[in-house]
Amino acid sequence: MPFADLVVGTLLYGALLGVIYGIATAGLSLIFGVLKIVNVGHGAFMMIGAYTTYWFFTLYGLNPVLSLPFSLAIGALLGLAFYYPVVRRVIDAPEMASLLATFAMGLLLQEAARMAWTSDYRGFSWEVARLEIGGVSIYASKLIAAGLALLLLLFHYVVFYRTKLGLAIRAVVQDREGALVVGINVDRIYALSFSIGIAITVASGSLLAIYNPVGINPYMGAILTLKAFVIAVMGGLGSIGGAFIAGVLFGLFENVSYVVLTGIEGVQPLVLTRFIAFTLLLVILLVRPKGLFGR
Amino acid sequence: MVFTNAVRRALRKARLTLAAYIILGVLYLAFPHYSQLIATLMFYMILAQAFNIFMGMTGYIDFGYVAFVAMGAYGMALAVESLYELGWASIIVGFLLAVALSVALASMVGAIALRLRGAYFAIATIGVNEGVRYLIEGANLVGGSEGVIIVRELRATFGRETANFIMTGLADLALLLIGITAVMITALILSTRVGYALQAIREDEDAARALGINVTRYKVMAFTISAGIGGLLGAANWALKGGYVEPAHVFNIHYTVEAIVMVMLGGPGTLLGPIIGGLFYGSMNYFLGVIKPGLQLLFLAPILLAVVVALPKGLMGYVRERVKDPRLRELLT
Repeated sequence: MPFADLVVGTLLYGALLGVIYGIATAGLSLIFGVLKIVNVGHGAFMMIGAYTTYWFFTLYGLNPVLSLPFSLAIGALLGLAFYYPVVRRVIDAPEMASLLATFAMGLLLQEAARMAWTSDYRGFSWEVARLEIGGVSIYASKLIAAGLALLLLLFHYVVFYRTKLGLAIRAVVQDREGALVVGINVDRIYALSFSIGIAITVASGSLLAIYNPVGINPYMGAILTLKAFVIAVMGGLGSIGGAFIAGVLFGLFENVSYVVLTGIEGVQPLVLTRFIAFTLLLVILLVRPKGLFGR
Repeated sequence: MVFTNAVRRALRKARLTLAAYIILGVLYLAFPHYSQLIATLMFYMILAQAFNIFMGMTGYIDFGYVAFVAMGAYGMALAVESLYELGWASIIVGFLLAVALSVALASMVGAIALRLRGAYFAIATIGVNEGVRYLIEGANLVGGSEGVIIVRELRATFGRETANFIMTGLADLALLLIGITAVMITALILSTRVGYALQAIREDEDAARALGINVTRYKVMAFTISAGIGGLLGAANWALKGGYVEPAHVFNIHYTVEAIVMVMLGGPGTLLGPIIGGLFYGSMNYFLGVIKPGLQLLFLAPILLAVVVALPKGLMGYVRERVKDPRLRELLT
């Protein structure tokens, strides 16, 4: 492959993946922004989304794109199922409680998935066309996944800024007591925000499976949580727009790093990229703890 | 004089906990058939005790704790691998190197992460063990994903008989000593101003700082001590007892989860809590492993959820709040 094509391809794939990372982090940011809770089990919810798409495709032959509504619904229900017995009780507890609780939720999903579906790596192949863009051949499925991610972001935006619910959520974020005074049911806003956040997270897992339909396994969540944290911290925890920009940057970084590291003898590029991602996290936390775009 | 007083107070505090270790030691000798179960229980008790020194006392959660235990395992394995001709000295160097490596990693991570609060700290640590593991595997350092095997070196130096003794009896004796050390350090911290400072940090870090407590210094102190004991544990229980170190095993986040659950279950920040949590979880783990292996984590998650929601101060906190007799209360620290 000519060098120019390699560059274009790397950047293109990086940007497409980055859009998905962006939406994957939006759920984390939403939950942190509203409930002030860091969902340490984030990746496990994405894992559920990936399995949803996988099973609907392999069992019923359902077009992966159409599995998205199912992922959203499953996510919304999971969110409510965890909110009322657990999350609600740790909102006002010391931070340690919420970190441990969300961690345990992720663990529960991961182990339940392992019991139900074994720890085998699974994948599927969804045959769609390849497109030629600027001399680079690209799977249409990856474009579709990125397009759907943008659609989800739009949906997210509309809910947030164009509905009464979004107004109430923003009110709670600004001033919880004030929101209570004007008659907003804060507990219900928390429940809905958590539910929406988890729904988007699960759906982003589906998108990831459409983008890259291999390597689906119960433990895939751990590294996804780490990546989501890197992105969330880059964009500033709680900022959804920041998360999106940071997601694209991270997708670009990951792909470029992979391509560069492939050129070095004797190293495993994929694994070392993860190490660099982690180092990046520490450096950002050290230099700009409020995020690259935070004030 | 001040120091001996502190030691006396610490010993007083630690009576019950030390008794637990001595009873386990006696049971170990009396029932050789169950020696490995007892050694496993001790491993869990130490893991909880060491983790408690940082997490229980400061309220900060280190999701990457197992990396320090892993560093210790690597320290021992590397020392034996390269210095096995020195005989016993290589094992002593191994323990020293174990502490040195885990404390070095803790200082590095601590210097960065301990500037951060609560959630940000937790986020920073979540990648620590993965990060170190990916560096070792990705760049093919110290054996890469294959790890380091030292069984052959041990047998070559000491002969088969002695090597087997090192990997069972001696490693278990080391565990007992590490356990007692961990208990005494915890008791010392709890009976000196260090303990008050750490508790103040846990309750309200800003207030503690305003009172003139050097917050960073105490946090770093607790973090490195906790890591150092973890390193000793890894050296004894994984490298020496197992005879090999493999990244997929020693960096498994599983162990951090177990430590969190044991500390939360027993009672964070207490002396006896980690022992209770360790004994409870260790035996549950053992029997579950006998009945149906691989189910442990599935049981851990709901236990952790239940403890966090219903028993935030752990079993010890729950019992202590209900005990009126001051002497009994003092025993239950």
